[in-house]
Parts: sequence; structure tokens; C-alpha cells
Amino acid sequence: MSTHVLEGTAKRVGGGLLDPRQLLTSLPEALRKLNPVTLWRNPVMLIVEIGALATTILAATTETSFFGWAIAGWLWLTVVFANLAEAVAEGRGKAQAATLRAAKRDTTARRLRGRTSAEWDVVGAPELRQGDFVVVEAGEIIPGDGDVVEGIASVDESAITGESAPVIRESGGDRSAVTGGTKVLSDRIVVEITQRPGESFVDRMIALVEGANRQKTPNEIALNILLAALTIIFLVATATMQPLAIYSMSVNPGVPGSLALSRDGVSGVVLVSLLVCLIPTTIGALLSAIGIAGMDRLVQRNVLAMSGRAVEAAGDVSTLLLDKTGTITLGNRQAGEFVPIRGVTAEELARAAQLSSLADETPEGRSIVVHAKQVYGLREREPGELAHAEWVPFTAQTRMSGVNLDGREIRKGAATAVMKWVRDHGGHPTDEVGHLVDGISASGGTPLVVAEKGRVLGVIHLKDVVKQGMRERFDEMRRMGIRTVMITGDNPLTAKAIAEEAGVDDFLAEATPEDKLSLIRKEQEGGRLVAMTGDGTNDAPALAQADVGVAMNTGTSAAKEAGNMVDLDSNPTKLIEIVEIGKQLLITRGALTTFSIANDVAKYFAIIPAMFAAVYPGLDALNVMRLASPQSAILAAVIFNALVIIALIPLALRGVRYRPAGASKLLSRNLYVYGLGGIVAPFAGIKLIDLLIQFLPGMS
Amino acid sequence: MAALFVVALVVALVLVHKPLGDHMYRVYTGVRHSRAERVVYRLVGVRPESEQRWPVYARSLLAFSAVSILFLYAFQRLQDKLFLSLGLAPVPDHVAWNTAVSFVTNTNWQAYSGESTMGHLVQMAGLAVQNFVSAAVGMAVAVALVRGLARDGADTIGNFWVDLVRGTLRVLLPLAFAGAIVLVVGGVVQNFAGPHTITTLTGGTQHLTGGPVASQEVIKELGTNGGGFYNTNSAHPFENATSWTNWFEILLILVIPFSLPRTFGRMVGQVRQGYAIAAVMGVIALASVTLTTVFELHGAATVPQAVGAAMEGKDVRFGVADSATFAAATTLTSTGAVDSFHDSYTPFGGMMTLFNMMLGEVAPGGVGSGLYGMLILALITVFVAGLMVGRTPEYLGKKIGAREIKLASLYFLVTPVLVLTGTAVAMANKAGLAAMLNTGPHGLSEILYAFTSASNNNGSAFGGVTVNTPWYDVALGLCMAFGRFLPIVFVLALAGSLARRIPVPESAGTLPTHRPQFVGMVVGVTIILVALTFLPALALGPIAEGLS
Amino acid sequence: MDRMPSWIRQHLAAVRALVVLTLVTGALYPLAVTGVAQLLFGRQANGSMIERDGRTVGSALVGQSFTDAAGKPVARYFQSRPSAAGDGYDMLSTAASNLGPEDVVDTPDRASLLTQVCARSKAIGEREGVSGARPYCTPDGAGAVLKVFPAVGKPVRAVSVNQACPATPFAAEYRGVKVECARPGEDYAAGRTVPVRGGVAEAAVAVPADAVTASGSGLDPHISLAYAELQAPRVARERGVGVDRVRALIREHTTGRALGFMGEPAVNVLELNLALDRP
Repeated sequence: MSTHVLEGTAKRVGGGLLDPRQLLTSLPEALRKLNPVTLWRNPVMLIVEIGALATTILAATTETSFFGWAIAGWLWLTVVFANLAEAVAEGRGKAQAATLRAAKRDTTARRLRGRTSAEWDVVGAPELRQGDFVVVEAGEIIPGDGDVVEGIASVDESAITGESAPVIRESGGDRSAVTGGTKVLSDRIVVEITQRPGESFVDRMIALVEGANRQKTPNEIALNILLAALTIIFLVATATMQPLAIYSMSVNPGVPGSLALSRDGVSGVVLVSLLVCLIPTTIGALLSAIGIAGMDRLVQRNVLAMSGRAVEAAGDVSTLLLDKTGTITLGNRQAGEFVPIRGVTAEELARAAQLSSLADETPEGRSIVVHAKQVYGLREREPGELAHAEWVPFTAQTRMSGVNLDGREIRKGAATAVMKWVRDHGGHPTDEVGHLVDGISASGGTPLVVAEKGRVLGVIHLKDVVKQGMRERFDEMRRMGIRTVMITGDNPLTAKAIAEEAGVDDFLAEATPEDKLSLIRKEQEGGRLVAMTGDGTNDAPALAQADVGVAMNTGTSAAKEAGNMVDLDSNPTKLIEIVEIGKQLLITRGALTTFSIANDVAKYFAIIPAMFAAVYPGLDALNVMRLASPQSAILAAVIFNALVIIALIPLALRGVRYRPAGASKLLSRNLYVYGLGGIVAPFAGIKLIDLLIQFLPGMS
Repeated sequence: MAALFVVALVVALVLVHKPLGDHMYRVYTGVRHSRAERVVYRLVGVRPESEQRWPVYARSLLAFSAVSILFLYAFQRLQDKLFLSLGLAPVPDHVAWNTAVSFVTNTNWQAYSGESTMGHLVQMAGLAVQNFVSAAVGMAVAVALVRGLARDGADTIGNFWVDLVRGTLRVLLPLAFAGAIVLVVGGVVQNFAGPHTITTLTGGTQHLTGGPVASQEVIKELGTNGGGFYNTNSAHPFENATSWTNWFEILLILVIPFSLPRTFGRMVGQVRQGYAIAAVMGVIALASVTLTTVFELHGAATVPQAVGAAMEGKDVRFGVADSATFAAATTLTSTGAVDSFHDSYTPFGGMMTLFNMMLGEVAPGGVGSGLYGMLILALITVFVAGLMVGRTPEYLGKKIGAREIKLASLYFLVTPVLVLTGTAVAMANKAGLAAMLNTGPHGLSEILYAFTSASNNNGSAFGGVTVNTPWYDVALGLCMAFGRFLPIVFVLALAGSLARRIPVPESAGTLPTHRPQFVGMVVGVTIILVALTFLPALALGPIAEGLS
Repeated sequence: MDRMPSWIRQHLAAVRALVVLTLVTGALYPLAVTGVAQLLFGRQANGSMIERDGRTVGSALVGQSFTDAAGKPVARYFQSRPSAAGDGYDMLSTAASNLGPEDVVDTPDRASLLTQVCARSKAIGEREGVSGARPYCTPDGAGAVLKVFPAVGKPVRAVSVNQACPATPFAAEYRGVKVECARPGEDYAAGRTVPVRGGVAEAAVAVPADAVTASGSGLDPHISLAYAELQAPRVARERGVGVDRVRALIREHTTGRALGFMGEPAVNVLELNLALDRP
């Protein structure tokens, strides 16, 4: 794997360790978020803040006691902890945004006066408009996002991808997109600007990782509604308790009032404490952090999701469309056979193929040398051994490579290019060559023609090689309930063979972009959510139609526009990881909701006897934790309620453990951990806190 | 013996639910109209073939209910002008309003004493009619929701008038007729006689009353209505003559609510989904029956300890255990009929009857209302649990989005808010407090019970509370009306929104909603949510009393 | 018709539907049930009436009081359970007591349920010549309940709240504090309520549970076998017949559990008394 600039962050988060310093640095932001206007978006925490304010006023005026101040303090801390969770999650994005900003230097551009014009004006990058043409030469920074319309160049994109090796960008085809802020290393290109000012890819990335204009996802909205409903119920349950408490005191006139309960009912501080303990503060505090962290985990894998909605959809995906090449098979085919033409021995062909490939460092070239050695026992020679050899490198123009050695000229390459070269050197390739080439193509392989000056020697059959571990991966997907479909331009026979070898559920052969689109539509009509990857302009409609469309960063801007995620590594296999991250996000949300609600059981056992045992001593039987005093019981519940938020921040950021498995199994495990754990944990936690705080003043 | 009594009920339900559930499936999905029904539709002036979108369905339902309330109110106020009034005076306005709402909402809370307030005609042609149609309305709403789950991308959820007529004529009427005859065999009276006086053995006088009791008794149980012909309801020997009619009446209470899940399963094309719902109901019901019976048999409280058994308010022929089973059944459903008096139950036994209603009456709940209430709980469970399998939640292939969860939440909010605010307001004013018969925490339980019963459309009472005052008649009437019709509107809206959704096909990644795991989860969610909502109130009522 | 606003059409349909369904379920149905019931099961449909000498003396299903004009039990007859229906077994105002399980403190308006139970137990004990003692009951037939002051903390004062002075409190002292009798008119609400179980063993309680409690219907026609057995010697003595014969009649008029498991065995008091009256 290559190294990324972002990997440092990735490792830290991946380990799930929360740097305590992060909490500290996020504190100012957390305090800023106390502003009710900001908190309005989170009704649960807004209620806590109002409660904190109310208890503070009560503690300062009518219910002055250490207990009152302690409760007020911890309620404020509860809100701060919730804000801290969000601030920490956002803070991580900010670190990444800073890296990106470094790439967004103020550049100047040489704007052409017309597409073909040779004249240009120097303008600032922000002044560029869509449809402008700029010329960029080696050493210059590309001023904005666009497509290469002329020329070919190697570009350093490490600023956004972290990939240090330069990439080739050329006009036409699927590798024409360039990103503002990246640097041209060689050659000269003309770029047509496709972005609007201030909306460059880097701008959007910065906004995304910072969570600046994060919108709630549909499921998050739904969950918020449920949480609001629960909050209302507990608000009503707490508020309506007052007349009942007053009545209870009135029918027991001999019972003296306590700090918690007087003739006027339950004290305001205690009432607020009960309310805050009951409403789902844990999930309310962590919900937005979970969402931000989900996006963040994608960023760590060098995937940019354009919306949280896309991440959520990833969890729901039931059909994966996977391009064969690069995803299921190695992007590079390997030599599987040397087919000589009549009159040439296989040995002779192998020797020529080997010679022509010695200096060829591409995977295909290496595979030819390896094949020659394994099948024909030809010793691999270092290019340096052949002192007189003149190596002919592959170029985009010639589309072949080879060697001139001791007067021999050997070339290998694409059939048309090599045949043309043979003819140019007076040769007359027979029809046999054409048949061989067609045969190999038809079987799904790639033919490379090997020729010596003036005559064709034979054809190298390059075959697809299925990546290791793909079958296991697909089995896993099946267990998760996801159907995998291989998309390939190959004929059905070849496609079927590879599909079977790889273990995908289905395949679409001889696929045109239209086929892809209609396949997606068909799946969606059946209620399925579809994920796919794509890079070409002709993939754009399908990417737009898919529920999760992952565009390769190497692809065209049209593809990147159409999809809702961009993979900076341009690694199509990552689709599988994206699905897992989506699922993990949803599971984390559900698990913490369950945990939050389950917590309430123990809090009742702490607070109800604390409030009412004075008037009905029998209710002390509910004090199963044997908490020291009513005050310590209530304070312990409030402290637990606050601390559990801090304790769960790492989990919210990391996401709960996810292993691909069937729904039932997953659910059992999560129910066990977060449901049962949610019931049990606070009993232990509140008891522990009570043991510690019972010695504080005013606790007895 | 107590166990055998319950086992016999379970066996009977197992035997009956299938034919009845399948019958209801055919009733609500059939396309043919009988000749009699065609005549009815012609008289009513509706086209039975045309389907309704949810707002139209809801408006038809509300129109029918509004008309019913007005009609029943007028009927009571004018009873002295009509025949068979037994010479009884017009019902006072606030009682008439309360009773009209009560019977139309399937609550059958009784702020009056049957034998001294209502003539035979009002009972038979007013109250008993609502016993039929309010039950049919409940079933119609449940069926509409099931259609919402069963249909793909549909706009309509059925035709209210057809569902109402079919539920009444094809489901309730035949069962009621057969059941009424069975009850008569047991000794339940069926005549049109007024009270007549006899001389007893020792020369005293006794007034013996009559009336069309069996025909009303059977639909009162079958439709989970609960409004007794007489004040002492199903404890009265003329309503519930023997220990076996007692068993039979419990069966009548449970039979439709426990058969509807099968109808649901058939309608959504997966019978096992229906059985999962039935299992949730069954688990809660069995646990509740067991606990109530154990608490009553154990008799832990001062008076039962002094007596040696919790026999106060219970009849000898039923005994403590069977009475407790009846009490659990009537509060687990929205029936509210009683064969013994909950006010005199042990604190925890009485709390169980309260808690059963607080569950929202879903195990198995009222006819129709139990099924739709349970389906809403299943939706809420799916929503939380579904996330934990890593998918946005879906139930029966239907995605639970923001709109669905909003409607489910609103549904879930209505009754707790009504119960708790109603109780709080009553406890905070003199008119409310004056109604208590008992004092201390038991008095609080009486008020809490009244609002719980009214808001959940149960209708049973901690009988000591004096509720035929204008204040209570109005307050509880409002609770009954809001507690019935707000949830219904939310359910129908939910049905409409679910019907429009295209189902997601099931896969290995889908949360299975037919396994014991899911059943356990719905049970857990139901009990925990309810316990969390009502624990403070219960702590100051029955729990304080029971732990003293 | 079609020009009417849809909400009016809906309400018109509702009115017509209600009228049609009222005719079917409110008239045709009860009349049909009545017809069949009267035709085939006339006795039951009319209330299972019992006649003696051509005169209706009651219903087999409805209990009655076997008391004289002054309300005193007629000793020749088996006695029914206490009833909360009107003055007892009044079908025009059926009711249960609806008193709660912790209703233990008498008020000026009414005796508590506990005191009612204790008083009944004592009276029946005297009537039948057995001990009427029960747990939580004073020897003079009231609820054995203390009000202890202060409500919280070490007691300094204890009052037997159901025993009005000059009665002798059921216990001399409570946790070292002398127990007082209750002075009428004094408000004891501020005290803690402490029911005192006393030393009566459960096995020593002679008067059965159904004898001291009011039924749910207020019309319970039955008593338990135990209560009937308790009354048998007295009835035999009063009538001058052998106890064995009375016991045989009890068995004869005992309804067992239906199908062997439903309900409880019960003795129909009216039928039993009628059988006794038969020569």
C-alpha cells in the first residue's frame, strides 16, 4: 500500500484511542456551543441546558445548598460534555481541512483568450469562470478544477490524495480531470475550467471534513423525532408528578419534609435532575458526533462522501455493481500463453518476448519475463547485462516497446501498432495473425503482438487474474445480504468464467453504460439500493442513478460530479469498505440509543426511593443499590449521566465493532452488549460514584 | 386449578384463532358483496367498489363516530319519551355526554348504574349497537394499517363503509348470536321484563330485574367493550351466572384480539409475522395473568391477611384465581368488564390491572386497537433494533422513515400525556380529589386508574371513585375521545404513508421480525417504555401502598 | 346529491349507516336472540326463578338475605355473605364495597374495611359458637391499628385508633410506649399507621374468608363449603334435625368446579335453605 499524508490521523483513530489533548483543545469550541441558538438543533441537550440554568438560579436563590450547586454544576458539565463530543469530532475534520487548505494556495492563472488562442492574460485563480481555458506548464499549480482539453502531462496530486507518485492526465478519455491546487510536473496542458468560483473540489472537501454545512441525514432526522417524543413523555411524566407528590405529603401530615420533598412537592433541583437523567441525553449528546465521525472514517480511507445521506445509504446497499477490471481482477493482465505463428517455434517467440520485455517494468512486462522463465526456462537477464542493447520505451504515441540488440529490432505491443510497424518496415503480416488476435480477444484476453523487423513472430495472450481473497469477500457480502454483480465489457462466456472463479452472484457482460443504467434502475424498482464505482464520463448517468456512486479520483469531472462519493485512491475495491462503514455508522447509532434508554432503569431505582422514601418508607425497598442518602443517590445519578457521555465519546468516534455477519447474529451481540450492558452498567456506575461522593458535605 | 383454567383458555384460543383469523382474512380481502350487504350499501348511499385514500377513510370514520355520539346522547336524553324505558328519567346531560363518548369510543366507562339509569331500549338499541359498531371501527382501522403494510406503492387503504359493514355483519353478528345462546344456557337472562318484587324466604322483599342481557353481554365481551347491563357488570349473576360462563366470557374477550394477528399474517402474505405478533401478545398476557393471580392468591396486604384471602369484592363461584384471570384479561384488552372489583385487590394485584392498561392495551388489546397498537410498538422496536443490524430500519420491507416514526411517536405520546396530565389536574383540584373513596396512596390509585382506563379506552374502574360528577364526566369524556380518535387518525395516516412505499426485498442483512429474538425485543421495549413513563405515578400509588 | 359538499355527503352516509346498523344489531339481533332463548331455554332466559307453593321466592342465581324484619339473622337458615348492594342483596343497586386492601383506619363517616371484617368475624364467631379472632383484629372486633407519633423516628405516643375510649386498647404498649384508646374527635392523621398482626395463628381462624367479605356482585348466591360447615351445627340445632342430615343437604347443594377446574366449589344458600324447609 502506498503511504498517505492522512495516514497518521487514520492510525490514531483506527486504534480508537482518543488523545486527551483533543478534549482539551476542543474545550473552547464546546463552550461556544453552549449558545442556545446553536443548541437549538439538539432539543434533548437544549432541555438539559435550560435545566442547568434553572437549577443554577434555584441554587442561588431558594434552594441554596451544596447539593443544589453540585447538581447545577454537573448539569452544566453534561451539556459541555455533549458539546465536547461534537467539537472533538469536528476537530478531527479540521485537522484534515488544514492539510487541504495548504494545497489551496493563491495561484495565478494564464487564461487563454480563446480555446485555440495563443495569447493569454494573467489573472488570479478566484477570477476564473466556468468555460475559461487556462494553460499550465511544468512546475505550475493548476488554478482550478477542470478537464484537460489539450496535451498530456504528469501531475503531482499528493496534496489531495497523499499519493506521492505522479499521475498522468491527458486530454480525451477518462483521465482528463485535474484538480485545482495540484502541480504539473512535466509537459504543458490546456485545461477547461469546470468549477464555479469558490466551489472547487478542494473547497468542497474542506467544507465536508469540517462538517461546516452538515445536514442531518434522513435516519438521523427520524431518530431525532423519536428522541424528541421520548423527551416529551419524560417531561410530562416529571411535571405531572408534582401534584401527586403534594397530595402524598398532604395525606401524611406527620412526615417532616426533606431536601427532596416538602409540602410544596418535589424540590426544583431534584425534579430537574430526574428529568435530565430520564431523557435520552447519552444518544442526544453523541448523535451528531456519530454522524461526523462516520464521514470522518471515510475520509481516513481517502473517500470523500458528498453527503451524510450517501454514507447512510451505503449501509443499506443490497446490490453492489463491481467493475471487473481493477476490482475483481488485477488491473493488469498477465501473460498466460505464447502463441507463435506458423513457422516460428514457441521457444523463438518466448525468447523474443522476453528480450522485448526485460526493460519493461509494467506488471504486464514483468509477467511476460516470469512466464518465459517458468514455462520455457529462459533465464531472466538484467537489462545491464546486454551492453549493446538499446531499449525502446513505451510511449502513448507508439503504443509499443521493445529493444534493438545486435542489429535485431524486436517490438511488442498492441496489435494494430505492431502490425503497422511491421508493414512500415516492409513486412506483410498474414491473416493468421489477425485470427490469433481476434481469438484471444474473443476469449476475454488481451493479445500483444511480438514482431521482429519485417515479420510477426506471434502473439502473447494476456489473461485476467482474479485478485486474491475476493471469493471470501463476496461470501462475506452474501452473509450480509448483499448481492454482488460483476460488470464487464467481456463477452458472456469469458465473463461467466471469471464470475465463477471470483464467486460473484451475477454478472453483466458486454456492458454498455446504458446497460449499467438500466440494471441499476431495475434493481431500484425492486426496492434495492445499489452501489457502484465508475470513472468515465459515460459512467456519469449510472453514477448519478446509483444510491451510492463512488467516482474514482482519476476519473473525469463529469463522473466526480455525478457520484456522491469520490475515492481519492481510485481503488474500486473500496466500495466494500464503504458499505461496512455505512453499516457501522447505523449500528453505532442504534447501539447507543438502546444503551441510553436502557440506562434509565437504574436511574429510576436511584432517584425514586431518594425522592419518596421520606413519605413512604416502604419505597426504600427500591433502593436496591443501597445508596448512602437521597442526596448522594440523586447526585450520583446525575454525575453518572454526565460521565457516561465522556466515556462513550471514543466509541462514538470509532464506531462500534463491526464484523460482517447475518442480521440476527449482529443483533444478538449488540443487544447483549448495549441492551443488557445498558441496564447493568449504570447500577455499578452509580453505586461506585455514590461510594465516592457520600463523604462530601451535605450528602447525608 | 388456576393453571388449568388458563391452560384451557390457551388451548381454546389455539384451536379457534386459525379458523376465525382466516375467516376475517377472507372478510376483509374478499371482493364479493352479499345481497344483504348490497342492500345496506344502497341504503347508506356508498359505492362499495371505490377505495379510499387515508384522509377520506379517516373522515368517514370520524363522521360516523360523531353522528353516533350525537345519536346516543339524544337517545339517553329522550329515553322517557320512548317505550321500554321502565319509567326511568332522562339521563342527566353530563352523564349522557360521558356515556355517549364512552360507548362510541369502545371504552364503555360507566358513570352510571345500569339498572337504575338506562331503560331496555337505550341499552339494546343505543348502547349495544355501539358495542357492535365501535368494535367494527377498531377492526377497520387495524385492517387499514395492515393493508398499508401489505400494499406496494398504493394510494388507497380500503373503504371504511365496507370494512364497517363487513366487520359488523360477517364477523361480530354471527359470533354474538351463537355466544348469546351459549350464555343463556348458562343462566344469563334474555327477556324484556321490568323489575318485579318477590317475597323472600324470611318474608323480606327483593326486586328481581330482567332485560335483554345475554345479547348485550356477549357483544360486550366479544367487542372488548365492557359496559355492563348492570352496575356490578360481569360479577352480576344475571350477566355471568356460573364458573364456566366466566371462562367462556374470558374466551370471548380474547378470541378476536388473538385471532387478528393471523389475519394480519395472511394479509401480508407471511403467516409467521402474524404469529410473532401473537407471541408478543401471548408472552405479555401470560406473564400478566400469572403475576396478577399470584399477587391475589398470595394476598399480601393488611385486610387480605386479616381475612385470610383476597375475597373482598369477589364472588364465591369464581374464586380468587379465576377472578384474577378475568381482571388481567379485561385490562389487557380494552374490555373493562369486571367479575370482581379491582379497587379491593391487593396493592400489587391492582397495580397489575393498571399496568396492563398502561401498556396501551396491546397484549392482545382491544379488537383492532390491540393489533394496531402492537404494530406501532413493533415499528418503534424495529426502528431502534433495526439500526443495530446496520441498516436503516424496515418492517415487512417497508422503510421506517421520518414520517412513519413521527406518526408512530405521536400515536405513542397521546395516551401517556392524557393519563398523566389528567391525573395531575385531578389531583391538583378539589373537584378531582373529592371523588376518592379510599384515602392515601389507594385514593391516588383510584384517580390514576380512572384516567388510565378512560384514555386507553378500557372502561373498568377502581370502582370506589365517584365519577358521575360534571367535572369527571367532562374530563374523562375528553380523555376517552382524544384517547380514541387521535391515535386512530395517526394510524390511518401511517397506513397511507406505508401503503405508498415500495417494499425492500428481504435479504440476509434484513432484521428478521418473526423470530423469538424479535418477539423478546418487542416485549422488552413495550414493558421498559411503559415502566419508565409511569413508574413515578405508580410509586406514589400502588407501589407505596404495597410496600408499606 | 353530487353537488353537495363532500363533508355533508359523508355525514349523511354516516347517519344512514347508523340507522341501518341500529336496525340490524339493535333490533333484529336482540329480538332473534330473545326468540330463540325464550323458545328453547325459557327457564334460564327468565332468570332461573325458584317457586315454592306456586309463588316465586327468588332466583337460583341471586343471593338473598335470610334476616328478619330487624335485620337480625334468622337462625334456622344458613346465612349468605355480607353484601354491599343497597341494604344487602338489592338488585336495584348492585355494588361491591370497593374498599381498598389497606383501608384500616375508621373515620367518623364509616368503619374501615378492616374493622368491618373484624366485626363480622366476631359476630359470626359468637353466632356459631366459635372463636371470631383473626389477625389484625382486636378482641372487641375492630381493626388492630396503631397511630404512632411522631411519624418518623422513635415513638413517643401510640393510639389504638379504631378503639374509641373508653375501650381497652388491644395491646398495653408498643415499643415501650403505652398504647392509648382513641379519643373521639381527635385528629390522628399525623401519626404513622401501624397495623398490628397479633398472635392469632392462621390455622386458628375459625370463620372463613367469604363469611367476612362482601362479594363483587353484592348478589353472591353462594357461600363456601367451609362457611356452610361452620353453620351446619347451629342450623341443625335450631331445626332439631341431625347435623348429618344438614351436612348431606349441603353436599347436595354444592356446585363443584365446572369441568373440574373452573371456579370454586360453592354452596347455593337459597336452594339449601329451601331444601331444609321441605318436610
